[in-house]
Amino acid sequence: MADSDEDFVLSSSGDDRPKARGGAGASRRSGTTRGSGGGKSKKSDGPAPGATKREKWEDIQRSWDNVVEGADGSIAGTVIGLLEATKRKRLLRDTTPIQRGIIRHLVLILDLSSAMLEKDLRPTRFLLTLRYARDFVTEYFEQNPISQLSIIGMHDGLALRISDMGGNPADHLTALQEKAFTVEPKGASSLQNALEMGRAELFHTPTHGTREILLIFGALSSSDPGDIHDTINSLVEDRIQVRIVGLAAQVAVCRELVMKTNDEDDSGYGIILDEGHYRELMMAATTPPVTKTEEKSVPSLLMMGFPSRTVEKHESLCACHSNLTKGGYICPRCSAKVCFLPTECPCCGLTLILSTHLARSYHHLFPLKNWVEVPWSQAHKSTNCWSCQTPFPSHPPLSPTKVKIRLQVPSASTAPPPQPKEKEPTQSTQRYACTSCKTHFCIDCDIFAHESLHNCPSCQSLPESTIKARANLWPPSTDENGTTPAVDLTKSMRTEVAEATKMLENSKIAAGASMMEVDS
Amino acid sequence: MDKVDGTEHYNFKAPADLATLQVIILDTNPLAWATLESSSSLSFPSALSQLLIFANAHLAFSQSNRCAVIANHIDGTHFLSPADPGTDHRDPGEADLTPEDLKEIAHQNASKYRVFRLLEDEVRASYRRLIANTSPEAVMESPNTSFLAGALSAALTYINRICFGGMGGRSSGVAGEEKSKVNSAGGKVDETGRTMHAKILVISVTPDPANQYIPVMNSIFSAQRLKIPIDVCKLQDSTVFLQQAADATGGVYMEPEHPQGLLQYLMVGFLPDHLARRSLILPTKVDVDFRAACFCHKKVLDIGFVCSVCLSIFCEPPEGAVCSTCQVKLDVAALENLNKPVVLPPRKKKKKKAVDSLPESGVASAADSPAPTE
Repeated sequence: MADSDEDFVLSSSGDDRPKARGGAGASRRSGTTRGSGGGKSKKSDGPAPGATKREKWEDIQRSWDNVVEGADGSIAGTVIGLLEATKRKRLLRDTTPIQRGIIRHLVLILDLSSAMLEKDLRPTRFLLTLRYARDFVTEYFEQNPISQLSIIGMHDGLALRISDMGGNPADHLTALQEKAFTVEPKGASSLQNALEMGRAELFHTPTHGTREILLIFGALSSSDPGDIHDTINSLVEDRIQVRIVGLAAQVAVCRELVMKTNDEDDSGYGIILDEGHYRELMMAATTPPVTKTEEKSVPSLLMMGFPSRTVEKHESLCACHSNLTKGGYICPRCSAKVCFLPTECPCCGLTLILSTHLARSYHHLFPLKNWVEVPWSQAHKSTNCWSCQTPFPSHPPLSPTKVKIRLQVPSASTAPPPQPKEKEPTQSTQRYACTSCKTHFCIDCDIFAHESLHNCPSCQSLPESTIKARANLWPPSTDENGTTPAVDLTKSMRTEVAEATKMLENSKIAAGASMMEVDS
Repeated sequence: MDKVDGTEHYNFKAPADLATLQVIILDTNPLAWATLESSSSLSFPSALSQLLIFANAHLAFSQSNRCAVIANHIDGTHFLSPADPGTDHRDPGEADLTPEDLKEIAHQNASKYRVFRLLEDEVRASYRRLIANTSPEAVMESPNTSFLAGALSAALTYINRICFGGMGGRSSGVAGEEKSKVNSAGGKVDETGRTMHAKILVISVTPDPANQYIPVMNSIFSAQRLKIPIDVCKLQDSTVFLQQAADATGGVYMEPEHPQGLLQYLMVGFLPDHLARRSLILPTKVDVDFRAACFCHKKVLDIGFVCSVCLSIFCEPPEGAVCSTCQVKLDVAALENLNKPVVLPPRKKKKKKAVDSLPESGVASAADSPAPTE
């Protein structure tokens, strides 16, 4: 633990270390790879990462270089542009419909070693981690309603079980409150112990789901009872994917662990830059992972119960918590009453969910396409955001004195048609257009639609004929680029879902009638 | 603030006096209203008047309360209030009026509270404009058209802008930072960073748009996340979507028995804000149908089979064990023990939490697990 810290001090040679923690984290990276700990800690010298590619700290970015004065001498336009660029950066993601592991089993391993007492994150690493862990649990179940989670802590060289594998967020939150908050971070952390416990937790999970471990690693070393490489190999054999969020610096063994368990892809290993980035890295794990190879998970049919809700006149005990409740859901197979969904029936083991829980996962399967930044040549079509009515800036007068124009890195993904860049004012239009209905939105609606709503408000409120009529307008629709079978599949699924709901509606009367009989 | 009440005595925290934004989504499908009028003698003009009284009542509660009206029309959704800034604000109805008439109207309105009048004028003018742009043929072609998902999405984006300063969808980011940001922008915020509370009222006369299931559901979940109740006043054709919307977001679902008394329902059922609702028993529906329909035979199911890849629902294992939706070969070996009774493992006596750690598909799954390595 301490030794690698020393190494880091020695190797970080530089008076010109960037102030930002980002740079610091990256420069520490090289230090740790060289300084594999001696003594008990089992770390190996992996192949030096990034030997070929440039390190982050080698590219010096001066933020003031991006600032360009406008014609009137103010930098307001650039500031807005930069703000939007950061907002936008977070947004652009791959939106081709991919097969994702919707049913997940994830073990969250928290570091509770003495390294977590560091105060480089406010208030301390430990408290911030616990706060984020709570948010993570909520968000994870929001995104993956039919998935399971378990939490383990690395405390004083041992693995500490915080909560068991389960699908009820409330259980995990109370467990975090009761167990993790009361533990004082202490001792060293042991990767091997925690990973072995996580592996044991995931051992019994069914094959159709994913098996994942998310490790929050604050320490720089691990004190393990055995050879960690054996553990890594057995994790690979058990097809468990490991993601790691490092709080201090890159550690060779972590990188190897992530690479080996993710098919030589180390994108699952992130070192935090600051609090916001920490949260971002952690929340990235709430999105279901892409199913990469077919043999990894065997798709199967799951038997699930869709219980109906009842309201009783008198309170009765629920089967899951033995609480007195009036309302609840009745398991369709064994008629036990549970008070919380989704869950597994405590009597017969049937998975009980609501159809809305399935619907909640659909947006992973049909992601909303990225919107395109509107160039000034197209900006005249709109004066305000379609959905929130915020006015857009009108066309700024082209500055007669040619202010030096620094071409900003274009942040849009699907490249807009090449524009004569010289004529374009530096200020952005602040308009973003949906590629299918061509409507213009503001950046906040763009983010909201992609992160929370998962709908295009305008596509949903225009008749299909209108959308088709607009097909040839700018921006070009992205349908053709996508893999055709996937698109077809999505379409067919959409219609299937629609038909099923229609049927559900039609059968509503009959269903209601039968329910009445049950009631009486 | 401008609310004089005794809430300070009851340990309510600071967010208590945030103002409320009421977004009203109004179905304006002319044909649907015509059928409603023939069956229940509630005409659209009278419904609109009653709705405006309701909106005014909401605005009267607090000076900082706001109201937005969105029309769910046959050719899409339109903001009635605040009206689209790009459009002509003149009331098309006014064109036919003589100056004397205008004077008369102005005289009548002279003593009306300005906020009320602005809203009323705007809504009525926008609505007349909307109807003026609608051709009778289009009406006849679309008896049941509804853009519920679009209207909900528009309402939510608008709420996101007004109540959260555009930051509502941001699950990531540091909470503390955002709070201070909004704070500096203006006025009060509660701990989640919102500057106003919001609620949505859907006045619906059209049946569910079945092809919009996923978008509607997405909107519902988004509202749920932002803690925005969706209230539903369903004047005809009871619907599953809106029931689920009200249920999931904690809103009120009501189907008035006597639609001509709409105002009373609105005032009693939907007017209370989030604080008052805590101490009221809401007139909502309790038995919401959550059962699913299978994709293969469209039967309503109690127990069904779900494809683990695409979450399609089947009433029986599909032929050849291939999912008909995503064409994936499914492993049905786990279901062979289907008809055998599931025996509980004896270690079940532990505490409640042990329950959740059972393997998902019952007895057979242990056999599928990979072999231990050591």
